[in-house]
Amino acid sequence: MEGVLVGKRLIGTQAPVTVGWENIPRVEGGAFKRLFFSYFQPSVLFALILFWYYAPNSIAKASVAIGIGIGFRVFLMGLEFFFPRHESWQITWKEVTTDLFYVGLGYTVLRLVDGFIGSDVMVGAIQDSFHLKAFSWFMGLPILVQALIVSFIFDFGQYWMHRGMHNWYPLWLPHSVHHYITQLNINKGAVGNPIELFLIGLGIGGFFDFVPRAFLLAGAIGLAVGSYQHINVRFNSPRWWRFLFHTTEHHSLHHSQDFEASRSNFTNTYIFIDRMFGTCVDGEAELLGMEGGRRMGIAEQMTYPFTDAWRTIKGKLARPAQAVPAE
Amino acid sequence: MNATTASTLPRRAAHRGSPMNLRLIDWIWHIRGSVDLPAGQTSEDAFARLQSLLRQPGTSQHRAADALRFSKTDPAAQDKLAVFENGTLHVEQGGAGPVLRYHLISRALLLCFLAPLLFLAFAQLTIAVGQWQEPATKAAEKAKADKKKDAKKDQALTMNPIDKALGAPAPEKDGKKPDRKGDKYSPTSAYVFASLFAALYVIGRVLEAWLVKKRLRRTLAGD
Repeated sequence: MEGVLVGKRLIGTQAPVTVGWENIPRVEGGAFKRLFFSYFQPSVLFALILFWYYAPNSIAKASVAIGIGIGFRVFLMGLEFFFPRHESWQITWKEVTTDLFYVGLGYTVLRLVDGFIGSDVMVGAIQDSFHLKAFSWFMGLPILVQALIVSFIFDFGQYWMHRGMHNWYPLWLPHSVHHYITQLNINKGAVGNPIELFLIGLGIGGFFDFVPRAFLLAGAIGLAVGSYQHINVRFNSPRWWRFLFHTTEHHSLHHSQDFEASRSNFTNTYIFIDRMFGTCVDGEAELLGMEGGRRMGIAEQMTYPFTDAWRTIKGKLARPAQAVPAE
Repeated sequence: MNATTASTLPRRAAHRGSPMNLRLIDWIWHIRGSVDLPAGQTSEDAFARLQSLLRQPGTSQHRAADALRFSKTDPAAQDKLAVFENGTLHVEQGGAGPVLRYHLISRALLLCFLAPLLFLAFAQLTIAVGQWQEPATKAAEKAKADKKKDAKKDQALTMNPIDKALGAPAPEKDGKKPDRKGDKYSPTSAYVFASLFAALYVIGRVLEAWLVKKRLRRTLAGD
């Protein structure tokens, strides 16, 4: 495969990828269908922002946010079922069950562990030890600005953590499991080794003080943008959306079987951070995964970081020492 | 990775020797059934037609005269038989003509059947940790209440003039960052997922049995 030169990098020499928005297919069909898949994403984003901005304090609670999040996911699962982007990513009983197992881990045992070793706990400990005061002046900023700062800080940290995972073997080990997914579906974001799910949740947002509503708004922005990362639905996302936000297209390229393509598009929400640091590639891929698209089972997903590390260490130790010429 | 051998079928493949007590419960992850062969179709023709289902990455198969055994390692997500790691197909003479009898084994169904137990265990673990942490939680709540008293003395949280002009509700005085994940010692989510997997098992057991029968029938008919 020849590949496409993007900046100094040759993308798509190992597996087929499509580079450039002009080469990406658009939703076809009746006027209503095209209208729906063109304006659904921005409509949901603005509706959620308005809701959380004006909701009375009695409604603006975490439990409501969790309820909205679950309802939105169920709706998107319905869209995936009836309007799949690729037949080769069609959801099956086994796929949905596997994905929900990881979602379940996130809502139960991982949440419990996070309460002891999560970044908020660490930030609290650091603040207590060093008698640090939170940056309280942030609370005087307009709520929407606060929300954008919260989500930007998180995504900026997420960008570097994720980029680190693709560039440093010890961090790659837990993240590699997530790259064995062979298709994108709405809950595939939860699939991965639990150690990675902990690492990816680390953030420094806890050092700053924001009003509670700003966190809810930031969460809503994350939901209305980040949910589409792993989804088997095609949208005619507006140009401004594709410029600012991480789309399914960007993320499919990140999961491509092509090594160079997978080293791009590291953000969760704001693709312009990737643009800032030269790691953004606008395009898409259908053939995803590692080792030519081998689907990894749950048992291997749980142990792979350890077994692969052991294999690597053993390989290095077994390598014969370089012969030193006799003098 | 397809390995077709015309050797005799391994003894284990027949799956007829399951102990009686296991047969009572193995329907949980075993699916058995039969499909009538189209008129005039021989076992050779039938197995040849089924190759479109069986020639998949990670699938190996062994053939005997009227029987075929397959096993799968890391089947692809879109493999039509991905749910079944092992299976035996054999052609028999039925009352109305030849039939294909199948016996398929699914580890995925078994794990889904057991998953509610895992999530119930997580619920118990959450409750236990919550009880263990109760004194610390109470102390934290007391500290928070004391802080709240102090906060009452302070002025109300300042609200940006832009938000005031746009009519956003004023923040509460004791506003703290909400726990986005809710109460971390509540077992509710574990119970919800236990129920979800129980429902998924029932759906999967019925759906996959129906789908495999439909796929075998269509493949044999050449649709």
